[in-house]
Amino acid sequence: MMMTRIIHLLPQELQQVLARLPEQVRQGLEEIRIREARPLEVSFGGVFRFVAPDGTLESLPDSAYKPDHAACRKLLERITNHSLYAMEEELKRGYITVAGGHRIGLTGRTVLENGSVKAIRDIGGFNIRVAREIQGSANTLLPGLLDWQRLTLLPSLIIGAPQSGKTTVIREIARCVSYGDWRHPAASSWPGRKVGIVDERSEIAASVRGIPSFDIGPRTDVMDACPKAEGMMMLLRSMSPEILIVDEIGRQEDADAIREAAHAGVAVIATAHAYDLADARGRPVLRTLLDEGVFGAVAAIRRTPSGAVAHTITMQRAPAPAAREPTAAGQQASMPIARGQPQ
Amino acid sequence: MIKIIGALLVLFAGTMIGFYQAGQFAARPRQIRQLAHGLQRLETEISYGFTPLPEALVRSAGASAEPIAGLLHRAAGQLGERPDDPFRESWELAVTEHWPYTAMRDNERNILIRLGSVLGISDREDQIKHLRLALLQLKSEEDAAREDQAKYEKMSKSLGLLSAALIVILMM
Repeated sequence: MMMTRIIHLLPQELQQVLARLPEQVRQGLEEIRIREARPLEVSFGGVFRFVAPDGTLESLPDSAYKPDHAACRKLLERITNHSLYAMEEELKRGYITVAGGHRIGLTGRTVLENGSVKAIRDIGGFNIRVAREIQGSANTLLPGLLDWQRLTLLPSLIIGAPQSGKTTVIREIARCVSYGDWRHPAASSWPGRKVGIVDERSEIAASVRGIPSFDIGPRTDVMDACPKAEGMMMLLRSMSPEILIVDEIGRQEDADAIREAAHAGVAVIATAHAYDLADARGRPVLRTLLDEGVFGAVAAIRRTPSGAVAHTITMQRAPAPAAREPTAAGQQASMPIARGQPQ
Repeated sequence: MIKIIGALLVLFAGTMIGFYQAGQFAARPRQIRQLAHGLQRLETEISYGFTPLPEALVRSAGASAEPIAGLLHRAAGQLGERPDDPFRESWELAVTEHWPYTAMRDNERNILIRLGSVLGISDREDQIKHLRLALLQLKSEEDAAREDQAKYEKMSKSLGLLSAALIVILMM
């Protein structure tokens, strides 16, 4: 269903080529890379292939289908709703999010103003990342993030390489927590929590005109297309969330907002690009946050051929990197957790 | 008797043709002015409202009078029906379809078609520049149309009646 929606955004000629792909590949598509006058490329299940005009997949680009200028121009008009001028913010960031939560990355010639990128002109490269809702993707992860004392989630950092499924996982976490479905037999009586999502790139909830297109639960509020730090503060002030969810933190102001939320007793679930914990410590902002003990748990997501695998590490408040495996549920309860407010 | 009725009919038809011509001369500057207002509204929607083009067209149509409103509505409708087509094609189709219902000439049409080939596909400043240029060109067309109106409006009324009279005299 997601696929049909994204395919309908493409110009006729590209639709025809993609419609000839084997059914299995079409269902598992992750990225469609369209470059003007260069071979069409798709990625599915972690592998990349070029696509020939008759829909066969090839590892060499020689006989691949090459989209022409007209096709690229049509695609651009379609994804911008014939209104490139209304996409200034998106062009500054280099991607557009379309209905359904699919993100389309753009490349071209940039226009500079005072040394910083103002827009992209002559757009000739598109990378369509297909968003998908995988219900159950947080099944193995969620029990490791539970806060047994307060019947909610630990403030957690979810790390993983690009394309490892971080966004899918936090969307699922938002949905489960909001419904009160904690994916653990001992937690089945816990109530659902108020969830606030700051969805800077409209990827988590894929809101169209302010209404989420994914099921993110009945008690979830979304601040769409809002800078993370500001959005977190706005939600804290106005929506009294119990759990705040943000995607891809990394700037100093994000860290300040997360600290603020932690002191307000709100559990922040954030994601960051990093391969593992050691990698995350290499990023200054994440390092300070981890050392301060803001996060109660860190989950590393790794992608395997059979799907995403999560590896949860419960963190101590002590600044030393004393990470260890979670053992029994009862032990986690006695773990000190970084939080300003006593329960 | 029949001759007189025939002569009267010819006179009536000639006068009507003259009045129609005069009406066209009077309508042209008015419609150009309305078109300019419609485009100005479009400019506001684009520059301040960041309104997507299909919606901006519908709003401008709401603020304009016929036949301009119909043209803008048609362009927006065409975008909704066939979102795969480039805007330029939808716009050209709408302009070509609606042109016979207006009193405007080819000059104005060329200005509109040129505008259609750039609308929606560049950044805001660029869009504003193109819209301003089109407005400026329409202004000069409007001035020319007013001159034409002053020169030919009355003349075509009397010309209609007089040429009908000439035909009647020749037939008698």
